[in-house]
Amino acid sequence: MFTLKPITTRVLKMRKNYRETMPKVCTARLKIVTDFYQENPNLTGILKRALVFKELAEKMPVLISANEIIVGSMASTYRGSALFPENDIVWMKADNDAGQLFDRELDPYIIDDEDWAYISSVIPYWSKNSLSAMTDAYIPEGYFAAVGNQVTVYGDKGICAAPVGHFCTNYDKAIRVGFGSVREEAKGKMAALEGKMEADTIKKYNFYRSVVIVCDGMITLSKRYGAEAARQAEACSDPRRKAELEKMAESLNWIMANPARNFQDAVQIMFLYQIGMCLHNNMHAPTFGRVDQYLGSFYEADLAAGRTTPKEAQEIYDLFSLKVAEMNKIWSSGTTLAVSGYTVGQLMTLGGVDKNNQDATNAVTYMMLQTAARLELHDPPLSLRIHKNTPELLWEAALETTKICGGVPTFENDELIIPALMKNNRMNLESARNYCLIGCVEPAGCGDEWPACGGSGGEAYWNMPMAIVHAINDGHNPMPDFFGNVNENRTGAHTGYLYEMETFDEVLDAVSVQYQYFLEWQMSMVNMFEVVAAEHMAQPLVSCMMDGCMESGKDVMKGGAKNNSCGVPGVGIGNAVDSLAVMKHMIYDKKICTAREFYDAIMSNWEDREDLRQYILNEVPHYGNDADYADEWATWLLNLFADIVTNFTNVRGCKFAPGLYPVATNVLWGLMTPATPDGRRGGDPLADGISPVQQLDKNGPTAILKSVSRIPQERFSNGTLLNMKFHPSALSNESGRDKLEALMKAYFNMGGMEMQLNIVSVNTLRKAQQHPEDYQNLVVRVAGFSAYFVELFKNCQDDLIRRTELAL
Amino acid sequence: MKESDLTGKVYDIQGFSVQDGPGIRTTVFLKGCPLRCPWCHSPESQSFAAQLSWMAMRCIGVEKCGKCLTACTKGAITSGEITKSIGIGEAIKLIHVNRLLCDDCGDCARACHPGGLSMCGADYQVDDLLKQLCRDIPFYEQSGGGVTVSGGEALSQPEFTLKLLQGLKAQGVHTALDTTGFSDYKNIDAVLPYVDLFLYDLKHMDSEQHKKAIGVPNERILENAQKIAAAGGKLQIRIPVIPSFNDSEKNIKSTGKFCKSLGKAVTLVQILPYHNMGVAKYLRICDDPKVLEAEPPSEEKIQNLKKILECFALKVTVH
Repeated sequence: MFTLKPITTRVLKMRKNYRETMPKVCTARLKIVTDFYQENPNLTGILKRALVFKELAEKMPVLISANEIIVGSMASTYRGSALFPENDIVWMKADNDAGQLFDRELDPYIIDDEDWAYISSVIPYWSKNSLSAMTDAYIPEGYFAAVGNQVTVYGDKGICAAPVGHFCTNYDKAIRVGFGSVREEAKGKMAALEGKMEADTIKKYNFYRSVVIVCDGMITLSKRYGAEAARQAEACSDPRRKAELEKMAESLNWIMANPARNFQDAVQIMFLYQIGMCLHNNMHAPTFGRVDQYLGSFYEADLAAGRTTPKEAQEIYDLFSLKVAEMNKIWSSGTTLAVSGYTVGQLMTLGGVDKNNQDATNAVTYMMLQTAARLELHDPPLSLRIHKNTPELLWEAALETTKICGGVPTFENDELIIPALMKNNRMNLESARNYCLIGCVEPAGCGDEWPACGGSGGEAYWNMPMAIVHAINDGHNPMPDFFGNVNENRTGAHTGYLYEMETFDEVLDAVSVQYQYFLEWQMSMVNMFEVVAAEHMAQPLVSCMMDGCMESGKDVMKGGAKNNSCGVPGVGIGNAVDSLAVMKHMIYDKKICTAREFYDAIMSNWEDREDLRQYILNEVPHYGNDADYADEWATWLLNLFADIVTNFTNVRGCKFAPGLYPVATNVLWGLMTPATPDGRRGGDPLADGISPVQQLDKNGPTAILKSVSRIPQERFSNGTLLNMKFHPSALSNESGRDKLEALMKAYFNMGGMEMQLNIVSVNTLRKAQQHPEDYQNLVVRVAGFSAYFVELFKNCQDDLIRRTELAL
Repeated sequence: MKESDLTGKVYDIQGFSVQDGPGIRTTVFLKGCPLRCPWCHSPESQSFAAQLSWMAMRCIGVEKCGKCLTACTKGAITSGEITKSIGIGEAIKLIHVNRLLCDDCGDCARACHPGGLSMCGADYQVDDLLKQLCRDIPFYEQSGGGVTVSGGEALSQPEFTLKLLQGLKAQGVHTALDTTGFSDYKNIDAVLPYVDLFLYDLKHMDSEQHKKAIGVPNERILENAQKIAAAGGKLQIRIPVIPSFNDSEKNIKSTGKFCKSLGKAVTLVQILPYHNMGVAKYLRICDDPKVLEAEPPSEEKIQNLKKILECFALKVTVH
């Protein structure tokens, strides 16, 4: 049985500190990088990026706080945020001008006056020297006509504020081989090339030279932390802490130059490498990968040799997780609308099969769940790989954890994902079996793939219903902008108006044309970003460990990794699918209204046509209810999407990979999306992930799963996201848990890729009491009885809230 | 009448039913019941006829819609009060349904797209219903679940229930029959080969008390349980615990004793504590509901009753 272990006092203190510390902007990194760039205009390309890391490793403050065993910091204060001017810092001025930098509501940061004065003083320099500025200069001429379409994610400037990330380097190699050894290898490769730099081997030489520099940087950084630990040890009067600091100092002096010898070394390498990469670059979702696989053997060896106890190791793991949670980064106010919660998205993967297809669960797998459940940590997020031999105990541990920490872990289907990753020559069986999840739900190679979604320009989200709006409006976006003006330019392809389309097939043709047009633009832009970023924002610190790069002598940004891919995630699937079914039903099959009436109703945002909208919402079959009439369009539309995406080639030579997940962009994008044919009003959120449209799933969870299984998910190797919500009564006892497990297994057997469970919280029920209109279909179940929560009398609602509190 | 023309009156089909029998189930609720339990939490299940159901939270107001006003030819629907809608969160002018003039013809419900007015109870042909229930077979198989036929009292539509259960068994689906036990035994005897599990209500062991509260004595119910047990049927006994009706230690003891006397046929005893969440549902179908309103029993009380039942070597759960 999975039971929660006690938490040590020191971990509780750290957790309290984590929860209560208000993050602060730190200018240490900004100063180092600005000085370096201004003093070295002669340096370019990969060498510049390698040397800037060396500079950071030598100069960043080394911070070791009380209670820490695992160390590394992004800033001069606990939970501080570094700044990344080489990507983009101009957004800070824009946010400040708009009054959205200081005292903002989402993810507020302290910014000291003198720091703000310094930041302001360097913004003019960076406005011409950042990656955003360089990328802006390369935007293809033809794209300007398409700007403002709200289908593709990119505008015409400032694109690189939240750039590269979404990958997993080979931490296992960093732990078991070490930077010292890789440095020697690179030195050897350089020696062999000296004076023989024929053809493009000079590029390889420059790469290896950069690898040597960044490896030195990692060793320096570690030794500086070692020196700080030793300094604190000497000053420490508590003999226990003193011994601990001495042990830390010894470890920090050893690691990086050398491979890990024990569990603590291994955890420290993993974390400090992460800090190194995140200091070096503006990393978005730098993923840890299969942490239990890296650490399991060290833990077991330590245990067998009597070097550690389960309690000690769990404490180290707890402290490590809190260090990961501490890392955060200030985003622009616009970006916080999509990714709030001070998150950097450092996802970890656990469970799954090993390279021989055997169950890979080990003691650290459980340790990771213990940490999430006991500390109620949503960050770092966890993904659990499920396969047919996943142990019952692991299922139990995961479901118990998700009860406490909604959505943690996500459940991933090995049986579907492994073959999906092998499609389009993406990777071989061995790599596929070793996959991990990156970002939030994206399957990718663990240590051997550069799958950067969207290249350097933020994730390549793509608005599916908005392309349908273009299809029925001759390629125009009818949504007025902030100032109430409608864009008169055609932002899409010329496909005619809905009222000119005499058959439903004509509608489908128009949709196909717009999908092709906008998807190809989106991927063209990604290729353009990648080309610019590969020149100016090389990743030697990632590349030195990533499988393939040392062999090929190429940076990951230039396609040096063993495997390559690039994701394109569609958003608003439910609305897009329903839009097709609704138009077919209303105009062509049942002829409830004419195409002209329908078109006018949409363009007027259903003004005065609430009757039509109600008919659509309540009488037409909708996706998510196991109704073939609607669900067949999920199959059709998502095949169309996948066909176009998988036929397009990335600048690194690989094919693009389609995905279906929105993070929280479905809300943000909803604000910018006009009324859609599915009855959605302009400004309302788009549907989440591959879930049905909010409130339109009327037949319960099994019907939802039947519908979403109609998506050809095996084609979406960039990941699909399905968020299922349950009232706690469904999880209240052992049999409830078994039923959820069975529900998920049945979904996976039907071709489901991923699922995450959210248990309706007391908080949600309270919100439903206050805003019943948003929770109309929240169903509560008691034996032999189910009811709409919002319809119940207040005393019954209160009683249910009380029961819910007791159940968890 | 041809067999395929056989229809039943169904008022709800609920997927992912996890409280009514083993595994993941779909529960199909048949309309009509010979009993009138004052605590009934599904009042719409009682009448055998389709009834107009009025759910204010779905109404979008007569200004935006108002289709029902013209659809009704009986003058039963008029403009009503102005109120803040819990469904759309703004002030709207609701409708008023005059139950005395309404004859449940359903014209207004057919005109109502938002679903404020709907007909509770629809005719289903066995084959169509079977097709729908079988869509979730992958979930039944994975979880050891199946279909629960419930009511009302399903045995009050004996032919339809029999055909439905036969059809399910022909597809290899696990079946449960949720019943009051108040039926001619011949109906039970007919379905017995097609029912894997009976969910069987025992409300009171004293026949007079039973009759006083519910309108019928309990002898037939108890006898039928004994006959099912003797014929090899499996029973999950369900005891709704109703304050100051059947919650005395004495009654629970004699219920326990009776369950024990049924021997191995009883696989589980479930305690269903009274709750008053059904009250809101009465207002959908009538203006002046006759319904028991009491305080739900305390957790302590329920645990005590559970212990009493466990003294009879029964497996007992609380829902």
